[in-house]
Amino acid sequence: MSASKAAVRSKNMAGPLLRGGEIALAACEAIQEDNPDKEIVIEDHRTYMRVEADGGLIIRRKTMEEILGRPFRMQELEVNLTGFSGQIETDEDFMRWYLKLDL
Amino acid sequence: MALLDRSAWYNIARSTNWTPKYVPESELFPKDQSDPYGIPTAEWETFDEPYKVSYREYVSVQREKDAGAYSVKAALMRSNYYENADPAYLSLLKMHYGAIALSEYAACQSDARMTRFSKAPSMRNMATFGMLDELRHGQIQLYFPHQLVTLDRQFDWAHEAHHTRNWATLAGRHALDDVMMTRDAMTTSLMLNFAFETGLTNVQMIGLSADAANMGDYTFSNLITSIQSDEARHAQIGTPVIEIMIRNGKKAEAQQAVDVAFWRIWRVFALLTGIPMDYWFPLEKRDRSFKEYMHEFVITQFERQLRDVGLERPWYWEHFLDDIETHHHCQQAGIWSWRNTVWWNPTGGLGPAERDWLEQKYPGWNATHGKYWDVIIDNLRNGRPEKTEAVGMPAICNMCQIPISNKGGTVWKARIYQREYEGRRYNFCTLVCRWVFDTDPVRYKDWDTIVDRMYNGQISPPTAENILRYMGSGVVSKGGRDAHDYAWVKGYDRSPQAAE
Repeated sequence: MSASKAAVRSKNMAGPLLRGGEIALAACEAIQEDNPDKEIVIEDHRTYMRVEADGGLIIRRKTMEEILGRPFRMQELEVNLTGFSGQIETDEDFMRWYLKLDL
Repeated sequence: MALLDRSAWYNIARSTNWTPKYVPESELFPKDQSDPYGIPTAEWETFDEPYKVSYREYVSVQREKDAGAYSVKAALMRSNYYENADPAYLSLLKMHYGAIALSEYAACQSDARMTRFSKAPSMRNMATFGMLDELRHGQIQLYFPHQLVTLDRQFDWAHEAHHTRNWATLAGRHALDDVMMTRDAMTTSLMLNFAFETGLTNVQMIGLSADAANMGDYTFSNLITSIQSDEARHAQIGTPVIEIMIRNGKKAEAQQAVDVAFWRIWRVFALLTGIPMDYWFPLEKRDRSFKEYMHEFVITQFERQLRDVGLERPWYWEHFLDDIETHHHCQQAGIWSWRNTVWWNPTGGLGPAERDWLEQKYPGWNATHGKYWDVIIDNLRNGRPEKTEAVGMPAICNMCQIPISNKGGTVWKARIYQREYEGRRYNFCTLVCRWVFDTDPVRYKDWDTIVDRMYNGQISPPTAENILRYMGSGVVSKGGRDAHDYAWVKGYDRSPQAAE
């Protein structure tokens, strides 16, 4: 985790809190791939990783399948999704964390 | 076998409202249980849950979660971790399980009420999963401490606490009964799913997991983040309820429900989470202070979510920020002084280095809360431990059921906020607890605090021994004592100026 990054945090940060494990690590990788234009802040608190970006993040099933090399159901992410900031949208092909208001 | 995509059938599966023929709708969905706000049924049918799950997916994911939690426990069971653990850390577990395990069963009933009485069919679906989640949380948090009862009888409070009249149980139950057991389905969702589960459970279930992992207790740390992954889903039941209420001109009502519940739960959780984080963990194992976790999960994350769904900060936000600097510090001193009333062994835990840490995290700690501990430490260092045990009972808040206190030392902020109602005088710890009372005096007026019970004959005779027995202390297990037998004052022998 980086204190300097936390200090410049915008008011519109949104993203998942992930528990450790294979899926969580794959999810981190997938999020980087699925959000190429975002500056992603990852804070590692050992038992959870706070993964956020200004305006939120998306993760796609297709990307998870590529990284894991096997079929993946978006719902499997729930096992490692211990929380999130912002609001959530769930779909069979993606999960998205976002904020409606831009502050 | 090829399965249909969820989206191909989901909308049909959740459109389960029907036109009742045998009873009027007012009987099928009575106002008091379903919706006292009078929002048309057609509006509730627009409820669109943001976190969607089918039953098939639910079962498979939950199976995986349980397999993970139980296998970690099984693998580490032979490590003798708990036999060798710091006694103050064990106290955290005793407090957690006693406070939480049966509260989860209570939450199961709250979700069951939403399952039966919500007018929104999608909400009934989601609440069904919430109900099963809470059942899981109750069972797993009874099963895990059960193996520890043979180690220490105080762990039996995991099951017993809610069946006793211990003051800490009464405080927890009063708050939880208020926000989740005695409200209609919609208000329960605002109070439980949104204010409680989106807001404050994160600090206990995620924040504390980092500290627990630092202690090497992967069983517990893994358990509570697993539980929170359920909460993160079913907490989302509250968001569409808020949206529908705002759209139908009921923003003020939704705001008040959230404000009441957030404050009520805060007052209890500050003890449960704040005290162990800032006082009981060995210094080198502390990840961050309670205040820092509150900033991460509540002041930043929850406040932002609150505004995003169209509500405002509670009116008392400044009081709440003050309370983060105050409340749990006062209660650490109070609970430690009345330690024989509780089912865990709190530690004073305040050597010179710990005080420096507190001063750094909470500037002004030494000049305020520290003054109280100066007297305690002086008594302990001079062979007068009996003088550190409180006698009598403190004034108790008629709302949160927690002793009334505030900063002392060089600033003296302690005062009681009073209200006369129907000839009875009520005492409150803060303006906010009094405001909660004023929102609905009829709901709260007949409750007796543990101290009221001493004066009105419910605890008779009100002798020290009898009061302890009434609270279950010495009955279920021995009452609390200092977890480290005062070893923490030895630090002052090496550092005389720090004891000044």
